Amino acid sequence: MVVATVIAISIVTSSQLVTHRISLLLDRQASELLAADLVLSSGSPISVEYRQQAKASGLKVASTTSMRTAIFIDDEPQLVELKAVSDGYPLRGQLEKASDLTSPGQRVLQGPSAGEVWIDSKLHELIGETITLGNQNFKSNWLLTFEPDRGGALFNLAPRVLMNLKDLAATGLILPGSRVHHRMLFAGNANAVAAFRSQLKPQLSEGETIQDLENARPEMRRALDRTRTFFALSIILTLVIAMVAIAITARYTAGKEAPKVAMLRAFGISQKRLARFYLQQIGKLWGIATIFGIGIGWLSQYPIQWALDGWFGQALPQVYLIQPYLIAAVVGFICLAGFCLPQLLNAASTPPMQVFRPISNRRTFGRNLLVTVAGIIAVFLVLILLMQSSLLAIVTLGMILLVVLILPGLFTLLIRWLLFSNARQFWLKRYLLSRLRSTSRGAILVMSGFSLALLAILIIAVVKEELLAAWQTQLPEDTPNYFLINLAKQDVPLVEEYLSQNQIQYSNPYPLIRTRLTAINNISIKSIQFTDPRAEGLVHHTFNISYTNRLPDDNAIVVGEWIANSQALDQFSVEQGMAEKLGLELGDILSFNVAGETFEAPVTSIRSVVWENFKPNFYLIANPRLVEKKPQTWLLSATIEDSEKPVLKNLFERFPAITPLDVGVLMARVRSIVDRATIALEFFFLFALLSAFIVLLAAIQTGKSERQMESSLLRALSAQSSQLYRVHVFEFTLMGLLVGFFAALFANLAGWIVSVKFFDIEYHFSLSIWLISLVSATAVLTIAGILVSRNVYNVSPMKILRS
Amino acid sequence: MVPYQQALVIQGASGSGKTTLLGLMAGLDQSSSGDIELLGEHLTDKNEEQRARVRAGKVGFVFQSFQLVQGATAIQNVMLPLELGGSQDAFELSKKALCEVGLEAKADTMVEQLSGGEQQRVSIARAFAVKPAILFADEPTGNLDAKTGGQIADLMFRLRDQSGTTLVLVTHEQVLAERGDVHVQIESGRLLSVD
Repeated sequence: MVVATVIAISIVTSSQLVTHRISLLLDRQASELLAADLVLSSGSPISVEYRQQAKASGLKVASTTSMRTAIFIDDEPQLVELKAVSDGYPLRGQLEKASDLTSPGQRVLQGPSAGEVWIDSKLHELIGETITLGNQNFKSNWLLTFEPDRGGALFNLAPRVLMNLKDLAATGLILPGSRVHHRMLFAGNANAVAAFRSQLKPQLSEGETIQDLENARPEMRRALDRTRTFFALSIILTLVIAMVAIAITARYTAGKEAPKVAMLRAFGISQKRLARFYLQQIGKLWGIATIFGIGIGWLSQYPIQWALDGWFGQALPQVYLIQPYLIAAVVGFICLAGFCLPQLLNAASTPPMQVFRPISNRRTFGRNLLVTVAGIIAVFLVLILLMQSSLLAIVTLGMILLVVLILPGLFTLLIRWLLFSNARQFWLKRYLLSRLRSTSRGAILVMSGFSLALLAILIIAVVKEELLAAWQTQLPEDTPNYFLINLAKQDVPLVEEYLSQNQIQYSNPYPLIRTRLTAINNISIKSIQFTDPRAEGLVHHTFNISYTNRLPDDNAIVVGEWIANSQALDQFSVEQGMAEKLGLELGDILSFNVAGETFEAPVTSIRSVVWENFKPNFYLIANPRLVEKKPQTWLLSATIEDSEKPVLKNLFERFPAITPLDVGVLMARVRSIVDRATIALEFFFLFALLSAFIVLLAAIQTGKSERQMESSLLRALSAQSSQLYRVHVFEFTLMGLLVGFFAALFANLAGWIVSVKFFDIEYHFSLSIWLISLVSATAVLTIAGILVSRNVYNVSPMKILRS
Repeated sequence: MVPYQQALVIQGASGSGKTTLLGLMAGLDQSSSGDIELLGEHLTDKNEEQRARVRAGKVGFVFQSFQLVQGATAIQNVMLPLELGGSQDAFELSKKALCEVGLEAKADTMVEQLSGGEQQRVSIARAFAVKPAILFADEPTGNLDAKTGGQIADLMFRLRDQSGTTLVLVTHEQVLAERGDVHVQIESGRLLSVD
């Protein structure tokens, strides 16, 4: 019991510490896509007050200022997206520069120094030349090949020119009324960032918006959300196994204490005094287990860190929080109070008559209820404590309860059915079944516990596989790695022809119309109070509306009719997430403004979009008639291998207006985050296996004395060693088969619920889970049976006489 | 030497070595010196495996705390030694044995649900079902009240008379001891008297 409690506390300490550290690292890596942890954006200069407050909170701060301007190439003006960055930019992630189009990129932590500019690969012909920006001339020695936060406004890019913020004022480009986009970037400790975010929010002036990971990129957010939920689920399932171990060992301890209690009570020790004694013992046990558990948990993060550092490509950041240790201690307390205390209080109430009649303590219904209810409350409290999503906690508890309540009944029914199907032969099959049915050995409890442990492992494995499969399906090998944007409408067929001639795969081209949402149901968005805080960010953004009659790939109509099938004259199809955030329903009228001209149409369908597929995806799609005359550019995605880069170069020469956007790098990052998350999941899987092993040890220990006694009896009844060996090993094999069967049954059910309800991924019922479950449970238990059988079948028959 | 088809009663104070002697005589344990012969076989030079073969089908046991297999029915408990010995008609023989002890009606009852006296009768049925040449009983009435203990003693001796089995009993009960043919008194592991 002490060992089981120490392990439970170790699991919580270690998993909490490692989860915090991995989570922090993943957040930081995801932050690289923002170049910060938190970004404040505004069309007006951002108050230095915020900078001072952030510095006072211990955060790092950087600033960027972006604007559109023109540079001259051979006396021809070229529109560029100028971005001036302060020292320290990027706060998260790295920039990448290259000396020319074909050279490999160099990763750097700092932007251009004063006096130089880095230019987009689109402007590669200007390398080495002097570029004039306003009143100043700059050297352009480097191509900017990667910019972490560029994806934030994926389709709004003119070729980028990056300069140092110190040079901006001297250019004289910023005049009163200039359209300039200011961003202030913040990064630091997660708690400090969260606190600063809360501090910042009420101070924001109109036009200032906060962007963080939660409202940054949808594909990233979903990956992180799923990963976090899976972490929580894995930890809780691992802990459930540890709790099973505590419950089994507590029952075993209480069973051993009962005769002592009967004797002490016969000598006049009151039940109250015994209860007090057990309370003190549990208090001491908690103290010892907490010290050792926290110690082991703390130490275990180092070998794990050593293993994970290599995989993650960088060291896991340290966390200096008391929270993981406190949670571990509280979980230890809940486990002891929920599982051990009721069992020991039950033992303390063993009637003194038992000294005369050595019968097992037949607990009343009330006492059984106490043990069950205490266990349920303990599991629920632990779930609430460790899981962020209370719905997930409730559903997990429901599943655990279902399994805990149903499994023993199923085992009993099955064994009884097998036992009485043919009573004319007892040895060996029915003898084995009677051993499993024996209440004194607690085989059914052990099997239920072991099934629960295996079930937890299977759920982790099943959901992990489904999660990965979902990602792999969404990211096939031919996932496009380039967006070609800013195509003129008349150039689209020519670009398509050029790509086809060069055997480059590309997607359907889509038009883009930059608009602003002005009203919903004729109510100005300025006067609408949105319930979802993320809606504020959305409505102040520029929307890119596309138009098409063909439903894009990986889009599915959730409600309503797709544009091509609808009778409505003008209409919008809205992405599901956006509809939820803005509270949109079918029939709502959306009004937009393009270059001072307003147009409106009702929402006729709501679509689900697979953001992770890196194909052109849109929040809003209109019918062609509504917007096809509006000012527009086109885009398409293409898969361009490194060997095909010269083709790309020729394309830019033919169509200078096109801007290529290399999403391959971004995609690789998302992929790597998922890969790393998978490694972290493997780690929790190991924890689950370790806990299951403890359950197994507890199970073997629990029935050991009964097995020895029966072996001794069989010996006295002239059983041969081979018969004893067989019965012993077969007992474990049979347990393994039953455990494997029920674990697979429930794992399929639970896997389906968890996948569909919490990860929003399709679940595939597979036969392999049955095979894995049956084979692994049978093999593990049979091997355990073989390993421990020597202690049992070599027992002297004299033991039975002396019992 | 235990006389054939007679009842040998071993008596002595607690810790005097009665159970040890019974175990040695039955071949459950190995003596460190001397020689024990069971049914014509010398046990001293045999290991547990070989001694088990000597006991198989020829020796029965009745224990103070019954030692029935929990989770099994009365008839399954009786069938156990028969099937371990390879008997093909264990079911019929067990049914008959239960009938002999008056428990035919409770053949399919779980042993946990039987009273102490009934459990000991199942234990006796199990012992006599293999038609043993010799039956070893360790305090067979020790866990039963006087009346039930008397009934169990009657049953054992009746079956002994029917089957011609030799009985070796360890008992504190004077009433039961008096029914023996030969009495052995031991103290601190030494034989005090034989009469």
